[in-house]
Amino acid sequence: MQLEFGIGERRAATVIALSTAKSAARSGAVWGLLFGALVLNDALSYPTNYPTVASREAFAHTFGHNAGITAIIGPARRLDTVGGEMAWRTFGLVIILGAIWGLLTATRLLRKEEDAGRWELLLAGRTTRRHATVQAIAGLAVGWIVLWVLTAAFTIAAGSNSNVRFSTSASIFFATAATATAALFLAIGALTSQLAPTRRQANGLAASIFAACFVIRMVADSVSGLGWMRWMSPVGWVENLRPFTGSQPLALVPIILLTVGAATLAVRFAGSRDLGTAVLARHNAVRADTRLLGSPARLVIRLERWVAVAWIGALALLGLIFGLVARSAVGAAAVDKSVEQSVVRLGGHHGGAAAAWIGFLFLFIAALVAFAAAGQISAMRGEEADGHLDNLLARRLKRGTWLAGRVGFGAALVVAAGLATAIAGWIGVAGGHGHVGFWAMLQAGLNVMPAALFILGLGTLLYGLVPRIATPILYVVVLWSFLIDIIGSSITSNLLLLDTALLSHLGPVPAASLNWTAIGVLTGLGVITALAGLAAFQRRDLAAA
Amino acid sequence: MTTVAAIRTVGLTKSFGTTVALRPLDLEVSDGEVLGYLGPNGAGKTTTIRCLLGMIRATAGRVEIFGVDAQAHPAEAHRRVAYVPGEANLWPGLTGSETLHLLGRVQGQADLLYQEELVELFKLDASKKVRAYSKGNRQKVLLIAALSSRADLLILDEPTSGLDPLMEQVFRECVIEARARGQAVFLSSHILSEVEALSDRVAILRAGELVEVGTLAEMRHLSALSIDATFDGAPPDMSRIPGVSAVDVEGNHVRCQVVGSVEPLLDALVASGVHQLLSREPSLEELFLAHYGGESAAEKDAVHAA
Repeated sequence: MQLEFGIGERRAATVIALSTAKSAARSGAVWGLLFGALVLNDALSYPTNYPTVASREAFAHTFGHNAGITAIIGPARRLDTVGGEMAWRTFGLVIILGAIWGLLTATRLLRKEEDAGRWELLLAGRTTRRHATVQAIAGLAVGWIVLWVLTAAFTIAAGSNSNVRFSTSASIFFATAATATAALFLAIGALTSQLAPTRRQANGLAASIFAACFVIRMVADSVSGLGWMRWMSPVGWVENLRPFTGSQPLALVPIILLTVGAATLAVRFAGSRDLGTAVLARHNAVRADTRLLGSPARLVIRLERWVAVAWIGALALLGLIFGLVARSAVGAAAVDKSVEQSVVRLGGHHGGAAAAWIGFLFLFIAALVAFAAAGQISAMRGEEADGHLDNLLARRLKRGTWLAGRVGFGAALVVAAGLATAIAGWIGVAGGHGHVGFWAMLQAGLNVMPAALFILGLGTLLYGLVPRIATPILYVVVLWSFLIDIIGSSITSNLLLLDTALLSHLGPVPAASLNWTAIGVLTGLGVITALAGLAAFQRRDLAAA
Repeated sequence: MTTVAAIRTVGLTKSFGTTVALRPLDLEVSDGEVLGYLGPNGAGKTTTIRCLLGMIRATAGRVEIFGVDAQAHPAEAHRRVAYVPGEANLWPGLTGSETLHLLGRVQGQADLLYQEELVELFKLDASKKVRAYSKGNRQKVLLIAALSSRADLLILDEPTSGLDPLMEQVFRECVIEARARGQAVFLSSHILSEVEALSDRVAILRAGELVEVGTLAEMRHLSALSIDATFDGAPPDMSRIPGVSAVDVEGNHVRCQVVGSVEPLLDALVASGVHQLLSREPSLEELFLAHYGGESAAEKDAVHAA
């Protein structure tokens, strides 16, 4: 009997770690397979696509100094080798995906569990908040290990191919570097789960940290003389690992220190705060502020105002940085030429080098604005899934009025984000003594709106038809569109495939003129799908989570 | 002059795929009436309420709230309705008073003096954010919002879950006051003593089907009366008396149940020299269990037969 009790106690002490590990490992396995597929595809297709030294040199010449692509996925080194190509294209993509996986997984298994009340049940067992968080983080680590093992296994398998030939140690280092952002943002997600009072806010905070790190890395990679800034960004540290192209394992030190530090802080905060509260929201008794509670439309502003301010502020900051560095980024002749080549490929043909740079990077802004629009659909679904909507629709409010208010707010956010980015970009260009006028910048701002409005409309339709899966579908559409637009033309010449990217229809304004037909079609489709979504929403059952 | 019912359902049916959650339901609730709506978990109580409010679409049938088709024109039907859901899901970032303000505005009507009185009665600290509230306190916010609207119809789904006994008593007094003001109340609850104390009529739902509806007196009249009798000598054979069942003899003491007229039983008892006689009407709990006990017994028999 004594022995049985002992086993039970040990199990009780690790039950949270086991349940978290199970969920994180399942998710890590799915993403690990995705990472593995990307690695295999890239490693095995490169020797086929570029079989000769001449073809590889031509490829390296075309993309080796492309400032636009460098800004998005990092600098290319030794593109004439399969390792160099993988360390550029696959690595650049996988570190972004890894960070997204890490932060979403951590907030799902920590903050969401707490929000749903399940954490309370676990804490009622033989554990403390601090110990439970240690267990949960250990479980998250298991998820990362699964991701790492699968990525390493696929890289080793690809490396064993006679046309590829990676050493096992180089493959393992690649997998470590490729999944480093995943580990880092698992820890940061665990930390923001303690800082923010809801999962959505924890996600927003972690995503803002990632965006800031990413932008610093972009600037460091885009502007000559600012390469040192890479050491100011954790994403830059990961880039400095340089797998297959002169590995620098020392860059692992700050990554490990930050990961352990963030996890330790998460444990400390979890132990010092009350269950259900957050470090940044300790005060629960406040004076009532009813200014934005007079109607459902104003309620949307009250609920979403800080999300909107964060998006608009971040995008304006990004516009300002792009504007400021526009002149220096296109200063070097080689870079100047490559950006212009990229822009010409996307339909741009006038305005000079600075306009070409702005036009190319505003496609990135357009994708972010589309993500902001998708976030509004996600928030809308959250109101329904959490049961908040029942409280409104059981009263005098019409379904259509509520949905129109939410979509209207989303549209206003898109317009405000586009204008703010354009104006901030113009201020940046003017401050950096560039040569892009106010009207040209305003056109660039206008150009980012149609794709986001289409996403808003499509999201409304999906929400009206299939509310439970609307958000994931929408994010996949935006991500797909962005990736195809940015790197699609370098991996395929299939026009049908390239046409599936929403952003490619708009062109790199101000280097290209506004395509009024595309703007009209995308906006019109957005309106039509939104109206269809409105009709569908009025006919379906409200669906809980 | 014909009065319009607060709630009227005709053949109301709801299916989720191949699962029938609600079989054709015909029900009426009048002004100033409290209807207790009973049923075990999964019987279809919340489905009924969500159909009444137009939150889910009826597969067939019709729902009227004060004569307005609630499925076709839910917002219009809701003008005279206040609702307390079974789960108190509120916006965690709003305080109690902000939530009451918002819900009052969306409702379109709120008796603010009564609302203040209710905040006092329910002992709610309305300055706190919802995320800091216990389940019971979140429930109080919804109850105060609904009651202070003075709506003509209150639809309450498990309204006292999470409330302590003192607050439950406050709730009962509020419902009695609402009924006295002429408000209709549709009360879905598992707390049978609460339904027994408040309801004018009771409807019992089983597997999506209405199996009983009526006043408690009617139900009791149709149900078995419990009889305890003590005799001076050996008790008579009572099993052949019309309406008598479940006869249990213990020495000179007999327990049994009688349905319908008690006259034949009384004649037999008097003729046999009854010394002491106790009769008791069934409680709502016994009536409720009688409906579900039968189902459980049938299930058991089915299992044994298999």
